[in-house]
Amino acid sequence: MAAEPKGCKELVNEVIEAGLCTLCGACTGNCPYLVYHKGRIALLDNCTISDGQCYKYCPRTCTDLDAISQQVFGKPYSEEEIGAAKEILIARTTDKRVRGKAQYGGVVTTLLSLALTEGLIDGAVLTKTSDDKTANPVLARSEKEIFQCAGSNYMACPVLGPYNQIPRDDSSKLGIVGTPCQVLAMTKMKNTPPINRANIRNVKLVIGLFCTWALSPDKFHRFLKEKLDLSKVKKFDIPPPPANRFDVYSTPDKISFPLDEIRQFTMPTCAYCLDMTSEFADVSVGSVEGIEGWDTVVIRTDIGAELVKTAKDKKKLETDKLPLENLAHLKEAALLKKKRALKEIANRSGDEKNLLYVGLSPNSAKKLLA
Amino acid sequence: MANIEIDAPCTRQLFIGNEAIARGALEAGIGFAAAYPGTPSSEIISSLAQVAKDMGIYAEWSVNEKVAMEAAAGASFAGIRSLAAMKQNGINVVSDFLANLVMSGIGKGGLVLVSCDDPSAISSSNEQDSRHIAKWLDIPLVEPGDFQEAKDMTKWLFELSEEIGTLFILRSVTRIAHARGNVKLGELPKREQRAYFDQIHDLKSVMPTSLMPIPSPLRHFFQHMKVDKAREKFEASQFNRYVGPDKADLLIVTCGSCWLYAQDAVKALKLEDKVGILKLGTLWPLPEKFVESNLGKSQKVLFVEEIDPFLERSVMEFVASLPSTSPHPTFYGKHSGHINAYGELNPDLVIKAISTVLGLTYQARDAGYGSEAEAVAKSHVPERSMTFCAGCPHRATFWAIKNALKLDGRNGIVTGDIGCYSMALGPAGFFQLRTLHCMGGGTGVANGLGKLGQFGFSQPVLAVVGDSTFYHATIPALINGIYNQSNFILVILDNSATAMTGFQPHPGIGTTAMGEPTKVVSMEALCRSLGTHVEVCDPFDLKHSTNTLLDMIAEGGGAKVIIMRRQCELVRGKKEKPPYRVWVDVEKCIGEACGCDRLCTKVFLCPGLTWDKKAGKSKIDEVICTGCGVCTEICPQGAITKEVA
Repeated sequence: MAAEPKGCKELVNEVIEAGLCTLCGACTGNCPYLVYHKGRIALLDNCTISDGQCYKYCPRTCTDLDAISQQVFGKPYSEEEIGAAKEILIARTTDKRVRGKAQYGGVVTTLLSLALTEGLIDGAVLTKTSDDKTANPVLARSEKEIFQCAGSNYMACPVLGPYNQIPRDDSSKLGIVGTPCQVLAMTKMKNTPPINRANIRNVKLVIGLFCTWALSPDKFHRFLKEKLDLSKVKKFDIPPPPANRFDVYSTPDKISFPLDEIRQFTMPTCAYCLDMTSEFADVSVGSVEGIEGWDTVVIRTDIGAELVKTAKDKKKLETDKLPLENLAHLKEAALLKKKRALKEIANRSGDEKNLLYVGLSPNSAKKLLA
Repeated sequence: MANIEIDAPCTRQLFIGNEAIARGALEAGIGFAAAYPGTPSSEIISSLAQVAKDMGIYAEWSVNEKVAMEAAAGASFAGIRSLAAMKQNGINVVSDFLANLVMSGIGKGGLVLVSCDDPSAISSSNEQDSRHIAKWLDIPLVEPGDFQEAKDMTKWLFELSEEIGTLFILRSVTRIAHARGNVKLGELPKREQRAYFDQIHDLKSVMPTSLMPIPSPLRHFFQHMKVDKAREKFEASQFNRYVGPDKADLLIVTCGSCWLYAQDAVKALKLEDKVGILKLGTLWPLPEKFVESNLGKSQKVLFVEEIDPFLERSVMEFVASLPSTSPHPTFYGKHSGHINAYGELNPDLVIKAISTVLGLTYQARDAGYGSEAEAVAKSHVPERSMTFCAGCPHRATFWAIKNALKLDGRNGIVTGDIGCYSMALGPAGFFQLRTLHCMGGGTGVANGLGKLGQFGFSQPVLAVVGDSTFYHATIPALINGIYNQSNFILVILDNSATAMTGFQPHPGIGTTAMGEPTKVVSMEALCRSLGTHVEVCDPFDLKHSTNTLLDMIAEGGGAKVIIMRRQCELVRGKKEKPPYRVWVDVEKCIGEACGCDRLCTKVFLCPGLTWDKKAGKSKIDEVICTGCGVCTEICPQGAITKEVA
């Protein structure tokens, strides 16, 4: 079920030019041939390698979900709507430096900063909204740099590029915050360790983000630039349903766009994505419907559980139970994404048995397609 | 370079053809010489410039061939014997002026144009026989058959030019221009030359006196008279001769370097007593009587010349006009397929033609000789592709261009012309060059491509030119692009030399052909004065160059200029030591593995980088590496390391 060995030519044909690229950055950073530039991956020269890591780790090439699940959780791919979970709760930061700046409850920033101060990680690859409001991947090595990455901008960003750039002999312990596709690529790397890159075992923490879709960075940025003075923009937000808005916090006012106007900029590949909650992360974080200022937290692994526990013990996070109604909503939304995506995939391939990159057991696929 | 000013009459010196021509000009007492460099013509002016101060003459590299010819004509108008030299393409550039000059006539100083053709286009963008200009514009033309003739003819043409009052052309080809032979010297004149313009416009005079092409029909008629006068001189010329039996099985009519090939061929076939050679030195106007008197030598005539059937057609046309009582032999040559109408000739090709015409079987060597020789040669000669030198700034520039266009992602194209950078049509320049025509032609082509937005054209357009080409023929195209708001970027590859022809100086260098300091015509100041966006980059700074190109491409909106400035490595290397010591850290080099795939030796392809097959690592060839350090920037693993030398 794993991807057969192929190279950059096939990656370009099957993924990039096919409109399936998620811009996760897994094929960039270490490769001189594939380079990210303004919302697309460019092939600068022809590489002759027939078993390329670019193809291997791409979240849109054939992925054996059972195999990678085994790697992370020690068991086959969960049929749960939101994947394997040890515990689901809501949380918010107690850190004043994070509140207001971060999205919703500030859990991601707080967990990262804690992981750094506790020595779990020496740095983390993150998405940073630069002054010009473009999304850029960075390797943050201090609390200050982590804080600078707080807040979401909803644009796809090749966050795995800087990870791949880390020198082979660098033994820094690393964290990564990513969307489901980025986490999936990272998990594929964990499953088959890369060569000529930093040791994948140095990745000690994977924080996943909830994601329904990401925006095409170049197109969306151009749209914003035409509509707004970007130097005055402070924060972006898509409030939970039923708001159906895209809010831009600017000086002096908040500017709202109907979400449908923004949807035209979503990455085409997001329609083929099954994962809403970053199912292969140590801990996944997203908003909570109807409870402002809090985050939903899905603890999936021992590492995730340990980190959240420390945060609670050290009073970095305040936690509470996720109301059952919210959990039901979350699961419903996650399942809907899976079903929609599989349908799109089957439509695209023209055959319900050909699910393109999705390596699901026939039974699971059948259930979801029903 | 040989000493062409040696004052030793009757001694023999070893000269290349171009030096022989320059010596001939000195013996004729020229005062003025101008040219734009172009292989195979360049050594004429460089050897004259070298002795100019000693000899009290003036020599210059002009900005282009048209200006060179016009400047030489100016000197002639003031009574100074002058010469202009150029390669075949120059004839095209200068043709408009020539068409007027033949009507206006020359001044009191003799005026000679040397045109060096490049059969097989060994160092040219195109193959072209420039002799047609003689027929087309009524200009008498001669072609030397060896080095002695190259000198003697040049001297003679100045005398004829003054006597008849018209420009003369001396046509040469690569194997005369660049081969070397003995030349018996004549005397160097010791004469004071004074320039004075005293031509007047006397409307009452029956004979036109002004240096103007008017009234044109009358001037045209006079030019025909001058051509007839030249024909009379040509009829008696020692440069035309017949060698061979009175009654021959075959008469070869030939000229130029082909005369040498014909002699070799006849000798190899041992047909000296059966085949005669009629060698013509004066080609246009055709010395008809002389030709007619020799046509009866044989019933079969074979024409041997490079490149077009110029002599062949002239003789055939002439014979067609002869009465039936005159000899009408059977003609063989390019029209019959016996001789190629393209490429250089050689004795083998002439042997084949003679053998075919005479029905002989001739085999110079054993059947397998050719393939055996090739195999032996290949075992000793490493395979080499056309490439930029190690450390060439153009490689870095095209790397930046390639990456910028790939990153932009709209299939941008590069138009260009002739120069070292023409190599970018192949792997050396990562196949970036997509069109190649005459000097400055790529910028003109870019003007058109850059105006196609209304037809849905969105590909970025980059026009590349060399620094010398910029001054030569690019400025009008740039102005056109700015004026008509054509969307392209002119990339000037300023390596501060006319590198491909031998590092001649140009207006951007600050020295003259005679080695004197002069003003620098700043290309960026010139371009900025045209009111457009101009950037200057160091191509060795790959990141900055690529980003600047990307920004300019994204910017759009009219013609813009980016100057990639870095001195030609061959010029720098003569003056300075390598700036860096460069080596490959074998621990870091991952060779063919994923994450590199030998980027440096498979894609970047600097000759200073080699592949150590055994070790599976890249290696710096210390003999070839010039220490530019650019490869340290492209190595994805940081394995190529540099240290200030």
